[in-house]
Amino acid sequence: MRTPRLRAALGSLVVGVLTVPASVSASEPAPRALTFHPSGTPTFAVGPSTAAASDDPATSASTPVTTEPQTASTPEPAPSFRSKSAERRTRWAACIEGVTPCTRARPARALLLSVGAVSGAIAAGLMFGLGDRLTQSDPAVLLAGLGGLAGVGAVTGALAGRVGLDGATLPDRLRPSTASLAYDYRGPLVLDESRPHTMSLRVAPNLFLPEDHGRLRLFGHVGGWLNPKREVDPRPQFTEVPPGQEGTAPSVQRQRNLSIGVGFDLAVNLPYPVLSRSARLGAAELRFRPEVQVRRERYDPGTADSVLVERTMLLPLTVGARWHLSPRQRFTAYFGPRFDYLAFSDPGSNALRRGGAQIGPLYAEAWYDIDVPLTPARRDGRTRSIIATGQLSLGYIHSRFDGQGFNLGPVIGFMGPLHVGWQTRLRPVGSPVAAQLGAFARLGSGATLGLELGIVAPDPTLRRRSSR
Amino acid sequence: MMHPLYPRRLIACTAGLVLTGATLLAAQSCVQPHCSSPSYAEAECRVIAENVHARLQSSAGAELRFQDPDVTTDDTWDARGLVEELDDGTIHARIAAPGRFALSLRAPEDATTDTALHVRLSNVDPAATVTLSGDDGETEIPGTDSTRRELDLVLAPGQVRWIRGDRACPSRYRLAVVGDIQTNPTQFERIADRLAEDARSSLAEGVPLVGLVIVGDLTEASRDDEFETIGEVLGRLPIPTALTPGNHDIYRPTRPHFNRKFGPGNHAANICGLRLALLDSGSGSVAPSVQARVPELIDRNGATFLVAGMHHPPYAGLTGAGWSREDDAAALLVELARERADLVVAGHSHALRDYEDIPVGDVTLREVIVGTGGAYQGIGIPRYGYMRFEFDDDAATTEQCFMEVPPVGYAEPPNEPASPRLPHCPEP
Repeated sequence: MRTPRLRAALGSLVVGVLTVPASVSASEPAPRALTFHPSGTPTFAVGPSTAAASDDPATSASTPVTTEPQTASTPEPAPSFRSKSAERRTRWAACIEGVTPCTRARPARALLLSVGAVSGAIAAGLMFGLGDRLTQSDPAVLLAGLGGLAGVGAVTGALAGRVGLDGATLPDRLRPSTASLAYDYRGPLVLDESRPHTMSLRVAPNLFLPEDHGRLRLFGHVGGWLNPKREVDPRPQFTEVPPGQEGTAPSVQRQRNLSIGVGFDLAVNLPYPVLSRSARLGAAELRFRPEVQVRRERYDPGTADSVLVERTMLLPLTVGARWHLSPRQRFTAYFGPRFDYLAFSDPGSNALRRGGAQIGPLYAEAWYDIDVPLTPARRDGRTRSIIATGQLSLGYIHSRFDGQGFNLGPVIGFMGPLHVGWQTRLRPVGSPVAAQLGAFARLGSGATLGLELGIVAPDPTLRRRSSR
Repeated sequence: MMHPLYPRRLIACTAGLVLTGATLLAAQSCVQPHCSSPSYAEAECRVIAENVHARLQSSAGAELRFQDPDVTTDDTWDARGLVEELDDGTIHARIAAPGRFALSLRAPEDATTDTALHVRLSNVDPAATVTLSGDDGETEIPGTDSTRRELDLVLAPGQVRWIRGDRACPSRYRLAVVGDIQTNPTQFERIADRLAEDARSSLAEGVPLVGLVIVGDLTEASRDDEFETIGEVLGRLPIPTALTPGNHDIYRPTRPHFNRKFGPGNHAANICGLRLALLDSGSGSVAPSVQARVPELIDRNGATFLVAGMHHPPYAGLTGAGWSREDDAAALLVELARERADLVVAGHSHALRDYEDIPVGDVTLREVIVGTGGAYQGIGIPRYGYMRFEFDDDAATTEQCFMEVPPVGYAEPPNEPASPRLPHCPEP
């Protein structure tokens, strides 16, 4: 059974991934699938899963199940009036097994991929059709970035579903740590230069609204570079080694950085209060996330004439939406206007000369999150002492505020950075407190690699929400 | 739900974290000087290239170096031009910008005979006075109607001679600015023809057009043949040019194509009463070493006006055409605000835009985007042409207009002026 499945898996391209059910082949017996009796007791069923093929979880729950494996000697099933392609379509559009209410992850991902492709096409039309002389460039590039992330997320989500990561909502799914320390480093090193090691303290406590209507998250960070960034002048005119250096390029500038940000993120379920939930493609949320980010940089030329520069990014009207494509996969996008304030000091002074606001480029973010359960059940049936859950995050940030822009060939100066992150939550069974470990990479104007260690505070509403 | 991949995932995650840490540690131990393995798509590698190509040891052993016009010794050099030896042995020295320039020539100390050189200067203002000086006196190199001068000279063993140039200026003079030619050199030729007419009529008015600034994207694909095409057009102009590359000019990493054809992308010059500083922002930011030198590059040095030019606009507004490193763009705006720059000119956005009051602290800057050199502007009627700024040293005032050069098929400029502050220039 493995060989044809392996062949099928290798042979399927993106479209195949999206259009073929994860574990069902038309020409072979299906693997085990977890279904639920009306009593709620999980049972393993074998064969083409009626639950998977059903649009209605109630139907699947009432379908008799069997534990008898199908073999080659199994008699042929009764002739069906439905064609194989119709069956494939039905299976492709089926609910995720064992999940109520019904969520159709595969059509949702296909729709997201389509939306991403359409967004890319619209963006290309705006940029190459209308050109960038009519100020459409910024919205168009924003659209291209969000659409691209939607497409990459949908494909990654489909691959994740393909390897069995679709399923019921994890009882302790990851959210940002209540408090964490993050460290990152941006290389590569150059002789006699130094790159900053960055450390920041982040907080993100959650307040869940009654009746699961949403949640409010306060978030903020304070941090900066632990060491100054040092640059050298590589011009070939310099041929002698300055004191304290290994190479001939003299040190010309040191830079320090302080980073502060604060905001809140209000998420309410959509189409609440019109409907409690989308009947076909998963739930959605509306979001409002105003925030302010401040960066202070000191440029030190090695004399007493250092200059302080303060950049403030104000995002007062950032709105967004989250789409739960499956209980374990989410696509989130934000966008809004941006206002910048730029202040500076005179050389050698710390007094800032402040002025008015600049209208900045549009701000946007897009994220695709995939929950990954990491703790298998013990073979001896005993309960594990720690529950581990993971989350893969792919992101695009349409802002180069932190000096990171993703460039490709001549496409320079348009895009923001790409983000790839992994987080693991470790919670001792029964403990109200959990730890979170993470690693991330940010691609743009080089690569930044980072680690995050956080703690998750007790959530008094977790039990109530989990039971619901 | 149980899954056979669970333990592997846990191991993979742990391994990933360990690998990340190991990578960070390993990065500490592999340090090299800048561009030991160069990628000329990186701004710092082009800084090295533009300085390397500003000096030359000829096949006859002579050392030729572009210099700061104020220096009197040839101990070092400065990236203010391009020196190369052509196939026929001629030394070609391209001056990077209008205004004063200096080139030192030194014969080898151990030469047994005199060193004869045939030198061709290009991108020289036809109105400039160019002299050859040395310990044997000073001679003037006669001018031509073009931006080229040629001379033969002889250097005794160990002798140092200098070629210097400068032009006399009235109190009022003009400067043209354009960017973003890319796929349309034919339209740029039309613009160049109009510039030539404008230069002649401006001279007749007593307000000379002293140069053309091109703020990047001379090519679409950074290819040598594209640079050759633009070089030929510029070579026919009766005015010198000052160039800096754009993102389309630098993204081929194996050769510094722009620098090998036109010389430096980071340079500054005093032209009449104007300080012009050009910064190579083709990579979406300037090189860190150039950022450290910005105060030196924008030092007015006695000039009445300060103009800074680059391809990517440091303030992009809603054009989407900003710097990859906004922190560097902000730092540059701060330096320009501190020096109270009169004007920032840029391209990248294929449009004509005028940001009159960009607040930077308690100072406001003016930035004009002139991406109208021929590059594609989408459907609709394109606005091609160049900005012409007129400076008055005595009154310390600036005026500007846009010289629209419509594509073939239009008898008159098809567009209305972009704003009241950017009226159309009168026909030359």
